[in-house]
Amino acid sequence: MTKEKKLSITIDNKKLEVRPNITILQAARENGIYIPSLCAYEHLPSYGACRLCVVEVDGLRGFPTSCTTPVEDGMVIRTDTAEVRSLRQEVLKLLLSEHPASCLFCGEQTECKNYQGTIRKVGVTTGCRYCPNDDRCELQLITEKVGLTETSYPVYYRGFPVEKEDPFYDRDYNLCILCGRCVRVCNDVRLNGTLSFKQRGKLTTIGPAFDRTHLEAGCEFCGACVTVCPTGALSTKVSKWYGRPDTQVGTTCVYCPVGCKLILQVKNGETIDALPDYDSPVDQGLICVKGRFAIPEYVHSAKRYTSPQRLTPVGYEDISWDQAIDDAKERLSGIDPGDCLVMVSPQMSNEDLFVAQRFAREAMKTEDIFPLLISDLGEDLIPFLDLVMHASPFDVIGAAQGILSIGFDSTYGFAPIGIQVKAAAKNGAKLAALNFYESNLDVLAETAHETEPSRWAGMIDSLARAMPENGAANVVIIGPDVVFDPGRGAIFNKVIALRDVHKWKVIVAHPYTNLLGMLATGAFPGIKPGEALKKGGSAAAVKGVPVYPDLNKRRKVVYVIGEAQIDAAPPCDYLIYQNGLPPEGGLQPDLILPACMFTESSGTTVNAEGKVLPIQKAYEPFMKSQPDWWIVSRIVERMQKKAFKYNSVDAIQRDMKRQIKGFFSMKKGLEFGKAGGAAQSRGKRTMKNREDRYRGVPLASVVTGMKAVEERRRHE
Amino acid sequence: MNLVRNHVLISIDAGTIMAGARAVEKTLVDEIASQGLTDEISVLETGSIGATGQGVVLVVYPEGIYYGNVTPQDIPELVEEHLLKGRPLKRLILSEIPKQHVIKKEKTGLLKEQPRIVLKNSGIINPENIDEYIAENGYEAIAKALTTMTPEEAIEEAKKSGLVGRGGAAFTTGMKWDFARQAAGDIKYIVCNADEGEPGTFKDRLILEGDPHKLIEGMLIAGYAVGASKGFVYIRGEYALSIERLEKAIGQARQYGLLGDNILESKFSFDITVMKGAGAYVCGEETALIESLEGKRGHPRNKPPYPVTEGLWAKPTVVNNVETLANVPEIILHGASWFRGYGTEKCPGTKVFTIIGNVTTPGLIEVEMGTTLRDIIYEYAGGIKNGKQFKGALVGGAAGAFLGPDMLDVKMDFVNLKEYSAVLGSGAILVMDEDVDMLDMLKSVLHFFRHESCGHCVPCRLGTAQLVKIIDRMSSSKGRKDDIDKLMNIARVMQATSFCPLGQSLYLPISSSLKYFGDEIRSRARQ
Repeated sequence: MTKEKKLSITIDNKKLEVRPNITILQAARENGIYIPSLCAYEHLPSYGACRLCVVEVDGLRGFPTSCTTPVEDGMVIRTDTAEVRSLRQEVLKLLLSEHPASCLFCGEQTECKNYQGTIRKVGVTTGCRYCPNDDRCELQLITEKVGLTETSYPVYYRGFPVEKEDPFYDRDYNLCILCGRCVRVCNDVRLNGTLSFKQRGKLTTIGPAFDRTHLEAGCEFCGACVTVCPTGALSTKVSKWYGRPDTQVGTTCVYCPVGCKLILQVKNGETIDALPDYDSPVDQGLICVKGRFAIPEYVHSAKRYTSPQRLTPVGYEDISWDQAIDDAKERLSGIDPGDCLVMVSPQMSNEDLFVAQRFAREAMKTEDIFPLLISDLGEDLIPFLDLVMHASPFDVIGAAQGILSIGFDSTYGFAPIGIQVKAAAKNGAKLAALNFYESNLDVLAETAHETEPSRWAGMIDSLARAMPENGAANVVIIGPDVVFDPGRGAIFNKVIALRDVHKWKVIVAHPYTNLLGMLATGAFPGIKPGEALKKGGSAAAVKGVPVYPDLNKRRKVVYVIGEAQIDAAPPCDYLIYQNGLPPEGGLQPDLILPACMFTESSGTTVNAEGKVLPIQKAYEPFMKSQPDWWIVSRIVERMQKKAFKYNSVDAIQRDMKRQIKGFFSMKKGLEFGKAGGAAQSRGKRTMKNREDRYRGVPLASVVTGMKAVEERRRHE
Repeated sequence: MNLVRNHVLISIDAGTIMAGARAVEKTLVDEIASQGLTDEISVLETGSIGATGQGVVLVVYPEGIYYGNVTPQDIPELVEEHLLKGRPLKRLILSEIPKQHVIKKEKTGLLKEQPRIVLKNSGIINPENIDEYIAENGYEAIAKALTTMTPEEAIEEAKKSGLVGRGGAAFTTGMKWDFARQAAGDIKYIVCNADEGEPGTFKDRLILEGDPHKLIEGMLIAGYAVGASKGFVYIRGEYALSIERLEKAIGQARQYGLLGDNILESKFSFDITVMKGAGAYVCGEETALIESLEGKRGHPRNKPPYPVTEGLWAKPTVVNNVETLANVPEIILHGASWFRGYGTEKCPGTKVFTIIGNVTTPGLIEVEMGTTLRDIIYEYAGGIKNGKQFKGALVGGAAGAFLGPDMLDVKMDFVNLKEYSAVLGSGAILVMDEDVDMLDMLKSVLHFFRHESCGHCVPCRLGTAQLVKIIDRMSSSKGRKDDIDKLMNIARVMQATSFCPLGQSLYLPISSSLKYFGDEIRSRARQ
């Protein structure tokens, strides 16, 4: 790439060297020069609505807005002349003629800030509730910077009813200043098109066309509009009254294998909100409803275990960790390897999985490690693993000429993948979609078929033939509806043929978050740590997955870690259940060990591209909860096995580095060897739906808003 | 061919249809038939002949006699007296005939005085018949351009002619074409702005109703010059008759091979699609128009990039007004220097004005650039109605300027008016007599702007709202001491900071009304 030639401009008598192809506003911000603006937002196209960023430029007529005027070499710009200041004040006065503004001009503003943690004293102390108390309003700073201390117009309250009927966020358009950020983010960034301007002039409002609800209009509830709103018009239901967060913690979402970065908003040791990071290389800030809205309610659910519990004839009793570890040790000590089974979840961190497999192999001497997906996929496991282990990075979509989407919809999940597909289709890539219900990609597809999944395999060849001839420029995306369909085997084989014969790229959107981490760390029957990874460029084949755990044999102890669908486990005498929330179904575990959520313990996870991404501990665990690795380590310790004794995540990672070559140092992502062998048919569960779950518990059963979303997805 | 003794032209436009022109036409045809004159008398439909408010208007040729306010009941008498016996029916002859109508086009000696370039055929030919247009040298200009001129030469001719945009902004047409021609890209578009929304303006409608082929030919030449093969006419949805006639004309042109592939056996291909607007004033602004054409909400776009480099679907696009394009065939046919023979040095050519308000004969006229307001009102429009005094005129539509009596002798052209801080705009002239309340006039302008603001930017959306609040207060005589200052202040802010010309242009009617009629408005506000 050739180095871009810098431009020399002058802003307020300061000579500056700036990048080309940016606006005056960007140039000023990059050089620490403040220009007030409400409608400009870094990741959105210029809009020029608020007119607060007007400046004077030599040679240009009038007062151009700095957010829409590109810099040119030799430009002389003045941002702070008397005329510009006066115009800004007048424009802001007009803007505030329709926005409740009493708090902006209040004499006790400073004191208010200190005590309320918010600028919105009016709302909090008088109970007028004009605005949410989430410390996100940008008007305060603007008013201060523009130097407005009073307004000459009476404030007109538009009297719109506050819209609360949709899940996750409220909309109070009385506070809206029509900066258009939400409309732009919805249309230009999310490529969704739910929001638009309605009416015109003074009657302009924002919402879905034709007065549909957001749910009806195809809203993804991605919350991007809420994130960018500069006023209190859009606010998150669960967090709007919490005030300013104490800290922000960057972490990785573990709800699906995309691995989106989240900026957790933490207050008083709780997650109150989760925001996207538009600079994240994996997801570009395009997080979905689950990452944006389904985290605080889940991780702080009222159903969470507060203490270890033991089942007694009269119900559960709280016990200490000491007693709980003792109970576990009693049951686990001295039993035959075949009498114990360890159930693990792909929504655990690599570190927890590594410790869990060491426990099974070294403390219990068993290969009976049971991730539920073995049961889900049955005899189609091997082709599935083959596809997952050799999936392409998401950015191949951007360069694709042809895209075939099968059973995939990105409305309520996999948004970064779906949005890349939409963008590619808009830029001319040929898109074909194969679904049971209508998919959100259909509207952009050249051909979209809504048909029975049983017919999909038969249609793949003809659809693929209609794609551009250069197979390497084509991408096939398999969605969860394929993974959960009984006819998936035939589809997998067709896709493998496309990949191996025609050099197509493959992306699998499956629900097993850290499946690749599970394979890499060896938390999988028959695969030891590091074995699944490609070594030194040679394609060392995984020997297959021959050691399937027998799911019908009765065990003395089943130890479930991070999974709630315990009805899938084999029958047993003693069930240890280690999780954050109660299990599904009527089974009562004998011992309950309260485990941490991903917000409470550090580690790493591997996304579907093979990238190792950090999970960051945001605050101390809830009540007596402990990380999975800690609990397992303490049990091993008490069993007086010499196997291992971990006291920190660092120690686990040191061992992982030794045993799994290159795990933490791969630049491009983990590369996997071949998946071989033949899987036995063990699928005894039928997947009626593909509900989103975390550690086995459906999000919809914990997070209020997810119910409506889940129903919508199921077309109920 | 059948030779006829008399031609009766009946004006069929939106106004005359409302007055019952269809019924008159039917009665006339029936009556002629019953008198056995069908072979001798031909009844032809034509566009507006320029007079409005005179009911159904007929012209009988070769005498060139104009009848107004004709009803079906008058027909038997009219046919018997004039067409049978050859005696014009005096009681229906238009008493106040606008000056331009008396000029017969055959008398070329008077053409200098009464040039009709844009409206050359309007009111004379049948707009629904392509042959009549061709008979008036129609489609000769495009033939000339295609066979004897390169696109660059056509642009050069347009530049030399000094033709500027007639929609109001007065940008040099040749320059605009040149920019679009130079712009990178294979696909380019010609868009005709026929979303005539400026209050009081209806010139484009009458051009479209009276001579739609002229617009088609103008777009063809523009397309050839720019290198476009696709044109769009964005037309007001309310202009039902214009749309009907234009679509008919496009159909005929296609049949004659004048639209489509390889026009006149050249390598040039061009076709036109008519798109209907939905009635938003802001869609007359070219970038909002383009957004609307693309099927989006009619919001203006950021400039730059200008449409000539990134317009419709991000392709180089020329947006020209109907009247501008209608000038083009005549310029190509007769040459730039011929065109420069009309109008003023800095602003050559003619201008079509729509005169409305308190004048004796409101209507449509085409006069040379630089004609004085006094001439337009007193010579062409028959002076102030009922012998009253001239008080003022609103020139250029709602976004135009109020002019007082001392401006009567100012020359009306784009360049000259600018020096008086006024604009020619779309060419609407609303004349007000001594009885008009100027505060009410200003009020209606401000209400119009509040209604038409698109809501995109703060100063326009909320500024218009505040202006209306203040003017309403003033008009109910509850004006406050600083209200005039407030009006001017908001107008100043809107002019300096509004996103598009809609908000910026409101300064003009406010400042000009206060300049000429400030005392009256002040005293009215505090009565």
